[in-house]
Amino acid sequence: MKREPIYGIMAEFDSATALVDAAKLTHQAGYQKIDAYSPFPIEGLAEEIGFHHDEVPLVVLIGGIIGGLTGYLMQYWMSVVDYPLNIGGKPPHSWPAFIVITFEMTILFAGISAVFGMLALNGLPMPYHPVFNVPRFALASKDRFFLIVFSSDKKYDPAGTRDFLAGLGPRSISEVPS
Amino acid sequence: MSAAATPKLDLTAPQVVRKISQRSLIIGGLFGALSLVLAFIRPDEFYRAYLLGFMCWLGVALGSMAIVMIRHLTGGGWGTVIRRILGAAMRTLPLLAILFIPVFFGIRHLYIWAQPLSNIEDKHLREHLEQITQTYLTVNGFIIRAIFYFAVWNVLSFLLSKWSKETDRPNAPDNSGRFKAVSGPGLILYGFTISFAAIDWVMSLDPSWISTIFGLIILIGEVLSAMCFAIVVERILFDYKPMSEMLKPDFVHDHGKWMLAFIMVWAYFNFSQWLIIWAGNLPAEITFYLRRLSGGWGSIGLILVLFHFAIPFAMLLSRSFKRNIRKLVWVAVWLMLMRYVDLFWIIEPNFSKTLTVTVADIVVPVAIGGIWLWYFFRNLAALPLLPAYDPDAHEVLEPAHH
Repeated sequence: MKREPIYGIMAEFDSATALVDAAKLTHQAGYQKIDAYSPFPIEGLAEEIGFHHDEVPLVVLIGGIIGGLTGYLMQYWMSVVDYPLNIGGKPPHSWPAFIVITFEMTILFAGISAVFGMLALNGLPMPYHPVFNVPRFALASKDRFFLIVFSSDKKYDPAGTRDFLAGLGPRSISEVPS
Repeated sequence: MSAAATPKLDLTAPQVVRKISQRSLIIGGLFGALSLVLAFIRPDEFYRAYLLGFMCWLGVALGSMAIVMIRHLTGGGWGTVIRRILGAAMRTLPLLAILFIPVFFGIRHLYIWAQPLSNIEDKHLREHLEQITQTYLTVNGFIIRAIFYFAVWNVLSFLLSKWSKETDRPNAPDNSGRFKAVSGPGLILYGFTISFAAIDWVMSLDPSWISTIFGLIILIGEVLSAMCFAIVVERILFDYKPMSEMLKPDFVHDHGKWMLAFIMVWAYFNFSQWLIIWAGNLPAEITFYLRRLSGGWGSIGLILVLFHFAIPFAMLLSRSFKRNIRKLVWVAVWLMLMRYVDLFWIIEPNFSKTLTVTVADIVVPVAIGGIWLWYFFRNLAALPLLPAYDPDAHEVLEPAHH
């Protein structure tokens, strides 16, 4: 894949409200590949940057189903195939007794899938990220709010996008090197 | 104080509420007349159906009170927005106390322990009852305990309603401290009283059978009924102001989550009871399931597993489904029906070895429901749909964010 020398253009804002408004306008202007950074979660921001796809629930569901099947089949194999025991005169395949472990395994696998699925879908761990090339970006974990338009966006053009972002009233604008 | 203290929104309940109240009374009256006929020609069937219908609607009222108390302890906009719906359901408790009186008249029709013991053919059961009818299961004890339960519930409901009403006017006192002081002990009291009530009114239908989790099964069913009922009412109100302005997808989402949680707890309690009794396989306990899994009753049990748990559970996993009141309401309606089926499956097999549905089983619960709904919607119309000067009111009156 050809790497662009410029990763994108980043605008810095003073408040969460300013960021949400700017994100809304940028998205409305037709920019698709944008992202926003803030020191704390902002309700509604994900919707404004057009972030809809969320695959974590699907990963959790698949994880849960695999966990449940594993739990049940494991017990079936142990109690029916590998080492059948007569417990209270009940048949080896006594499903009610298997439910608790099946349930626990479902929860365990679903929980683990949620954590690792989230990390994987976020692309973590990520030792290098271009946005940190902008020195002021360190403030994103303190009290500043950032919006970036990626150079991979169809509508991206270095001068035009910069002018557009400048029109949103940011505190500063920086070009982000790859 | 803040902008929220001077609401621009008219919070009175829409006119439709009075209309539904009147129609409910008509249905309650018609089915009530039919029930009266049944009471004279088929008293045994009538009283069984009466107990069934009573437990269904009592569950909505008591469960609503429990959810109100949970809200007072935890806070949250999800609870503030339905507070007055739950409150109106809770304030039907005086009516339900009156509606319990027919059970006193039916005590000998319903409960084997209240009949002369010499009539009982089963020797073991007779010996068992000879002891317990001297101590706990006496007719006087049954009546006195019932009066006590209703007294506790009505006092709790009265206090919570009184303090809530005070916050409809400007310069209202901040009652959140009082609400908390009553709700904490109130929830514990509810847990104990409903457990004993469940033992007295339902479990003692089969006095030889004991399950320690039975009270909790009834309890969780009641809170589930109440949450479903609140969702149905909020859906009806959503077509009109002020609910159309107040009810946000985030709140509906929370109601859906509560529903999912209550369904899971219901399944958990029921499965626990089943697993322990199945594993123990003791003659005194297993009779409950032997009876309910044979003679056609088993199909009702299977319906419960699938339609009271598995399918609603799977549907409620979806986030977008839980956030859409227009879709969520159908699961709520469905689950209220399933609550009836669950109580039917608990109560009716005590009287018949094979699956039988009598006319009374349908008519009497509808009659009680009509009368109950008349009173509920009357209560709902009596107060604004939100206590406007409560410190929590702003959560609902303000727009979602910014």
